[in-house]
Amino acid sequence: MARSVEKTTPTVLSGVNAMPAPTWSWLKMNSAKVEVPAGLEPAPARVSVEVADGSADVLSANADAFDDALVAAGKRFASRARASAPGDAAQQAAVAAGLLDEMDVPALSLYQHGALRVEEELSVPEAFASGMGAEAWAYLRRLGRKATVVDVPSGARATVTVRVSGAPGAAAAASVDVIARRGSSLSLVLALDGEADGAADGAAGGAAPGLVGAALRVFAGQESRVAVTTVQTADDAFVALDDTGLFLDEGARVEVSHTVLGAGAAYTGLAADLRGDGARIDIATSYLGARDQERDFNYEIRHFGRRTVSNMDANGVLAGSSKKVLRGTIDLMHGAHGAEGAERETVLLADEGVTNKTVPVILCDEDDVAGNHGATIGHVRPEQLFYLGCRGLSKEAAEDLFIAAKLEDAALSAPDEATRASVVRLGEAVVPHFKEEIA
Amino acid sequence: MTAQAPALLSLAGVTASVDEKTILHGIDLTVAAGETHVLMGPNGAGKSTMGHVIMGDPVYTLNDGTITFDGEDISGLSCDKRSRAGLFLSFQAPVEIPGVPLSSFLRASIAGRPGLEMKGKEFRRRVKELAAELDMDVSYLNRELGVGFSGGEKKKVEMLQLLLLQPKLAILDETDSGLDVDALSVVSRGMDAYRRSTDGSLLIITHNTRILEHLDVDRVHVMVGGRIVREGDADLIPWIDEHGFESFEREASSAKAEA
Amino acid sequence: MAKKRTEVADIDRSLYDFTYGEDDFERLDAGLTTEIVREISERKDEPSWMLDLRLKSLEIYQKKAGPTWGPDISGLDMDNIVTYVKPNTDQRSDWDSVPDDIKNTFERLGIPEAERSYLAGVGAQYDSELVYHNIQDTAAKMGIVYSGIEEALHEPKWEAIIREKFMTLIPPTDHKFAALHGAVWSGGSFVYVPAGTKLDFPLQSYFRLNAKGAGQFEHTLIVVEDDADLHFIEGCSAPKYNVANLHAGAVELFVGKRAHLRYSTIENWSKNMYNLNTKRSRVEEGGEIEWISGSFGSHVGYLYPMSILAGRRAKSSFTGITFAGAGQNLDTGCKVVLAAPETRATVETKGISKGGGVQTFRSSIVATPEATGSAATVSCASLMLDDQSRSDTIPAMDIRAKNVDIGHEATIGRIGDDKIFYLMSRGISEEEARTMIVNGFASPVSKELPLEYAVEMNNLIKLEMEGAIG
Repeated sequence: MARSVEKTTPTVLSGVNAMPAPTWSWLKMNSAKVEVPAGLEPAPARVSVEVADGSADVLSANADAFDDALVAAGKRFASRARASAPGDAAQQAAVAAGLLDEMDVPALSLYQHGALRVEEELSVPEAFASGMGAEAWAYLRRLGRKATVVDVPSGARATVTVRVSGAPGAAAAASVDVIARRGSSLSLVLALDGEADGAADGAAGGAAPGLVGAALRVFAGQESRVAVTTVQTADDAFVALDDTGLFLDEGARVEVSHTVLGAGAAYTGLAADLRGDGARIDIATSYLGARDQERDFNYEIRHFGRRTVSNMDANGVLAGSSKKVLRGTIDLMHGAHGAEGAERETVLLADEGVTNKTVPVILCDEDDVAGNHGATIGHVRPEQLFYLGCRGLSKEAAEDLFIAAKLEDAALSAPDEATRASVVRLGEAVVPHFKEEIA
Repeated sequence: MTAQAPALLSLAGVTASVDEKTILHGIDLTVAAGETHVLMGPNGAGKSTMGHVIMGDPVYTLNDGTITFDGEDISGLSCDKRSRAGLFLSFQAPVEIPGVPLSSFLRASIAGRPGLEMKGKEFRRRVKELAAELDMDVSYLNRELGVGFSGGEKKKVEMLQLLLLQPKLAILDETDSGLDVDALSVVSRGMDAYRRSTDGSLLIITHNTRILEHLDVDRVHVMVGGRIVREGDADLIPWIDEHGFESFEREASSAKAEA
Repeated sequence: MAKKRTEVADIDRSLYDFTYGEDDFERLDAGLTTEIVREISERKDEPSWMLDLRLKSLEIYQKKAGPTWGPDISGLDMDNIVTYVKPNTDQRSDWDSVPDDIKNTFERLGIPEAERSYLAGVGAQYDSELVYHNIQDTAAKMGIVYSGIEEALHEPKWEAIIREKFMTLIPPTDHKFAALHGAVWSGGSFVYVPAGTKLDFPLQSYFRLNAKGAGQFEHTLIVVEDDADLHFIEGCSAPKYNVANLHAGAVELFVGKRAHLRYSTIENWSKNMYNLNTKRSRVEEGGEIEWISGSFGSHVGYLYPMSILAGRRAKSSFTGITFAGAGQNLDTGCKVVLAAPETRATVETKGISKGGGVQTFRSSIVATPEATGSAATVSCASLMLDDQSRSDTIPAMDIRAKNVDIGHEATIGRIGDDKIFYLMSRGISEEEARTMIVNGFASPVSKELPLEYAVEMNNLIKLEMEGAIG
């Protein structure tokens, strides 16, 4: 399937991280355009996979394992489809035939029509999507050439680390398919790193560009446990593209941790299909934006199963003239009785030049649910500044403190030594004596 | 009198306001190096305001007068500069700063201070020592500043900073500590350790005299309605204990009526 | 507790759902052409700058694409919409000289009675033109002007002000239906409250769209000068037809320094209406705009009153409720631009959907770099009354200022069985319990309305709730 990517193509990916139900276009939040630096060489060799000692034998040569698992599961969920709904295709046909009065049928938006199609017509494999969207997904998968297939047998446990070590002039992306069979448990670490030329400091400053990325599909089988920990620590000369699509079967639990610290432009997309009853996903996002970095996130959680639960929790610090967009959508589909979706975001704006865009969306086609979201956006408060000032911190030092704290936290909770070292490398560029301080 | 000792802090004619409401009216006050002073007065007298004005809280406007510290006019300095000049103000409680661990904050507060700046291991050893001295659980160092701390723990955080920063003058705003036995003992322990380890001065703001037991007080100032209405030596403390502030308040209001 | 629901029966809207003939009304051809726009302008004998604005707007309308993010409006065929219908009367200032059919319409809607009891002035529009306009002497003596906007255009003093402000908050380039409005607008009110003047009683305009297959495009322009205070009420309704009607009005509100304007609306259009209304206010230093907004009725609704806080310490509050029943897709909310230091905005909305209806809360909070020290809070709650309805919440925030605090909270859900059980255990019927809970849910809006309107709103909710229980 994979056509290899030529050096020159493509330069712009459009419709990336598009939110499912868009809003006013003048806000320029609906989706992103990714400019891929020209002339990058695909570098599949810059991706490495390690299976931790004591893990089950999980690396599989079966490239169809994910699709097969999804198709098989889809058969079990085929009967879930909704039969009819106000404004659906059947009603529209009835209007066209003059059997129904147009005014008695709700004039649905494009998104609302699409949602009914998903509920009434699409099979599980047809409805499966990633967060960044088809164009970016296809680009990343082509860079990866051949997907790594991690197939965790029923009841087994495994820890797998995938490292992408970007380099100037290279486009390096991991393609990973995960199948966590019934009752299995997998911890997957995804380390996206890229060191620029002579990168003593993290800033781009004319360094040759590069790209790091990942395209990850996860099939979380019945009662499985999957933890995905992604830490992105590339230097500013890099573009980072981290795309994920998840399917959760009955009782599956998925925990996702996204730590976005580096890259001049970082795009993170995730879509999850909570199809099985009792499935649960918890997503913790931690990001730092400094200098003129751009951060762009899109999370879409679709609840189909009964009593499914989702939590999205994002926490970020923005400094310098950095820009951030966070789109988080909880989509409660018809039939998701007892589902609960929650999202929270806390952002600290440490400088005056930052741009912070947030759109926390709840889409709801089922009454027996609970959805809520909250966002808190603030600067360092005057009383906080005074308190810190009383202890000798200038305003600048106080703002730096929040950035340092973010990096320290990332270093302390890094999943392994190599990732920790990458965090420290980034930290050294921002915080004097960072390495020594957290030693 | 303490005229022979050189003044460390002196306020001359300090008038300060918030939102166009004047709170302090022409305060004169001098603290010499190594002395312990107490500022007392009823609720709402302006005591805490004075602490904040000395420290340079931007909420308050200094309308008139000068504040001199260690031979330098600090009236126009921002609070971080005053801190680095050797002033310290303890808060009733540290403000909550989610996302910032206490240890990161402490490191930032000593960064760039001659003689105090410490690197990684040394810093951690020092902070652990001080924590032990205050009977404080070291796990608090990794917790977010002020978030979910009890009253006693908050006081410990303040005293820990007092000992870490070793200021020349510490203003301890203990207006509310009187009621909390735990907090009271933490503050007492902190003051003892501070007096033992430095030759710094203390200005204690309180309306409760229990905190002053076992303390050698050099001078007592009584504030009512934003004015210093009486000054005296430590003997004033037991007198206030017995009689309260009513007589000062009466004097103040009759003086006002005459004026 | 097993729950059994039935499909909701059609609601008795006879209160609003009555029509009179329009035999001797003048009706321009359906569709939209330069000729029609010129003819509207000619009939109104308006200044040439206005004709220029109309023609320019038409050009923009023809070029601009419609919205792609909201409810489907492909059922709205402009070739079938009559943009101008003139009733068989000129504007009057006493009800007795208004023709009987039209007078009866407003009588049934309770307008003259409201005027007698508590309003300082009333304007009533029937289709494309005002048929009645009157202001109490006391208000007139204070120097307050409340007249038809076309009438004011013929007074040189007011023409200058209108020309300076008309379609500056809502430029025709803003969106396709703002352009349409600019091209074919007709009727609406002009209010001028001089500096320092405070009016104790509200002014009200009522818009009734009676003609089948027609559009209503009234323009409301209100200027509240520095330190002045006004409460303005807007009511709208229409009888139901089986073809699309269109409402694309525009409301431009200018709130001066330290001035205060409360703008209350109950839009109660019939369920064949495409309501594509645009409302905006600009608030100067220390001024305040309060929006109270109830959206009932309409087949499709796009309505997001916008507050531009242009001066230091300007404030806005938005309190809104939207109730979408069978066949309706109401996309409502608000926009706020914090564009000056220390501004404050609060948004509190309630959305209810029922019987397969769709309601969307959509908002934007934008803080420009100038908005240091500003704060905004948004809270929206949605209630779903059955499992056929849908409710979406799409709030956007774009913050670029220093020292701003933005808080956002949203919840979605249905009436808890425990609440119903509790009320029923105290002897209340299920229908009554549900109505009670929904009224309680709506009370943050109804308590902000004048009593008569609060009663009307509660009646509307009661109407919508009838037959909701299986």
